[in-house]
Amino acid sequence: MLPYYPTNTVRALLDTDQVTDATRQALTERLQLPPHQPTFFSVSEFALLQAVCNRLVPQDNPSGWIDMASNIDKRLSEHKYDGWRYDTMPPDEDAYRLGLMGIEESAQLIFQQEFRNISAEQQDFILKAVQLMEAPGDTWKKLPADRFFEELLTEATENYYSHPLAQEEIGYVGMADVPAWHRIGLNQLEDREPKRIG
Amino acid sequence: MQTYSTTETIDAVIIGTGAGGAPLLARLAKAGLRVVALEAGTHWNPARDFATDEKAQEKLFWNDERLSAGNDPLPFGSNNSGTGVGGSTLHYTAYTPRAQPDDFRIRTDFGVGQDWPIGFDQIEPYYEEVEQFLGVSGPSSYPWGPARKRAYALGPLPVNGAGQLMERGCKELGIKTSPAANAALSAPYYQEGVGHRPACTNRGYCQAGCNIGAKASMDVTYIPLAIQYGAEIRSECFVTQLPKNASGKLSEVVYIRNGQEERQRCRYVFLCAGTIETARLLLLNDLANSSGQVGRNVMAHPGLQIWGEFDEDIRPYKGIPGALISEDTHRPKQADFAGGYLLQSIGVMPVTYMTQMARGRGLWGNALKQAALAYNHVAGINILGDCLPHAHNYMELSQEKDNRGIPKPRVYFSNGDNEKRMTAHADKLMRDIWAAAGARNVWAFQRNAHVIGTCRMGNSPEIAVVNADGQSFDIPNLYISDNSTFPSALSVNPALTIMALALRTADRFLKHEGLKAQSSVSQ
Repeated sequence: MLPYYPTNTVRALLDTDQVTDATRQALTERLQLPPHQPTFFSVSEFALLQAVCNRLVPQDNPSGWIDMASNIDKRLSEHKYDGWRYDTMPPDEDAYRLGLMGIEESAQLIFQQEFRNISAEQQDFILKAVQLMEAPGDTWKKLPADRFFEELLTEATENYYSHPLAQEEIGYVGMADVPAWHRIGLNQLEDREPKRIG
Repeated sequence: MQTYSTTETIDAVIIGTGAGGAPLLARLAKAGLRVVALEAGTHWNPARDFATDEKAQEKLFWNDERLSAGNDPLPFGSNNSGTGVGGSTLHYTAYTPRAQPDDFRIRTDFGVGQDWPIGFDQIEPYYEEVEQFLGVSGPSSYPWGPARKRAYALGPLPVNGAGQLMERGCKELGIKTSPAANAALSAPYYQEGVGHRPACTNRGYCQAGCNIGAKASMDVTYIPLAIQYGAEIRSECFVTQLPKNASGKLSEVVYIRNGQEERQRCRYVFLCAGTIETARLLLLNDLANSSGQVGRNVMAHPGLQIWGEFDEDIRPYKGIPGALISEDTHRPKQADFAGGYLLQSIGVMPVTYMTQMARGRGLWGNALKQAALAYNHVAGINILGDCLPHAHNYMELSQEKDNRGIPKPRVYFSNGDNEKRMTAHADKLMRDIWAAAGARNVWAFQRNAHVIGTCRMGNSPEIAVVNADGQSFDIPNLYISDNSTFPSALSVNPALTIMALALRTADRFLKHEGLKAQSSVSQ
């Protein structure tokens, strides 16, 4: 079995005085996000986005499920940006709609089925083709597939690893920001830092 | 805080409160001038607003969209652009090496690029002043460049795992290293205008806001000093116009505040909005561009990163991110490129690392999850290299408007042959260092850091926008103080040099214009 970190490490820290109020608030909010109904995407677009995100960053965490797609939907609804975009790409709103349309189109052309109805292996085949600019479909004439894939993957990854549950997976406890860090050299751990198991 | 009326003609408006604006603001206020700083972003409260969480700190990045073009499109926002009182220093890593004397003479030494109209000797006193004021922590003797006249204010910060590994690998290869100079306190320090700033807790969060003020961003150093001397800071004010009067001088600054347009009358304008926004404002208003150079000469430091996994437990989120430095490669022997670069060790926060892996390696699915599990065993080295100005690298206004109705900037950037050769040289060297240190699964993240140029300094109004003092050739009461004025990129991180130049610009202004400005004070 692969090495892994113990669960509940971040959540346990959030209940202690080792975390500043500002940090606790940010992370607790993320842990307690209410279910989100899409406000930017249509219901079918949103379901497709969820399916794609779940292949880009697969989840098997028994502690809970991280909703990457909702954060993307919210960001687009609120017209928030990260400060730049490739000049070859259309605005984010158009890029996402076109990109999802393109993925669906490629699935239909290759497997004659909706993306959400094909197997995980087949879904990955489609996504790999998009990444490599080998996916069929007229939509990809209007949107650079490799750049769209890069942006979507980056945003999904950012949303996933921003989540306390994902941070537990990788053994990150930097949010315990009240005490100073004294043991910062190689193989030096503070008491609050979890050790890898296995 | 002092406040001024918009109907009063004040002495100066400073646009932007980062490394270029804040030191200058403090200097002018200290001289008794009536000064107002306009800042597009928020005046943050570090303890309340700076969570130790990467997503929550996104608000410190300039998130208005820039369009990025060229063969090596530059990412903006988290990489290189800040907002809020303190500007980009809010999220700088506080890595503050001095430029070396020959950095200012790249054309003289190599026949390419542009020399500076001033030399190291004119900047050095300001380097020292800034280092002492901020409380830069550094080694007692710095191994590269001219001998320092005065030691760093404080001893070096402790070296984290990434730094220890780089030191180990370099030692094996005979490369000299040293603890780096960082503008973060290794011990408590008295800050004029503030009181005592606490020592760094090794929280590692320098690419975001420091919540205790140990990192010397402008909001905890020069800004409170400026306020103490009588400056006013107006936050959440976005400047849109710089109208001229009949005699061709700027007469006021027009900005949007709370959705309303306001106008501040003034006698001088100091434009310190950074490489992109400074040039954008000038292009928007068709100002100061008889040379045709506004927007041109975009440079971005070669910033290749080499990441590796190690058997050791590293926990890359702890300690000052850039703990170690080597400048052995400042002017490498037998190099096939002009200029040179430094090496720095890098720690990294998890979201930053994972998203770089996604972009740089294209990993997704189980491959991404698997690589992510190694995060606590990851360390990086990166270079910071000089970049030449190329005709194909420039900024222009696009046809696309932002949500204020203002054209979005478009930036063209492609690494030239010189940058590519430098990067190839560095790639090999860093991989050798990492191999010697015991790394596996080594991978390269190609990137350029910082954005420089667009309003370069020079001796001639035909090829430069401002003179050596930062004064516009075209508009005598317009000064620029930020990294847009750099004629060459330098082979070090720019923040310290930006601050030093800001103080020099203020002093030169006071020397030449100060009597005229001060006479109004006595009225």
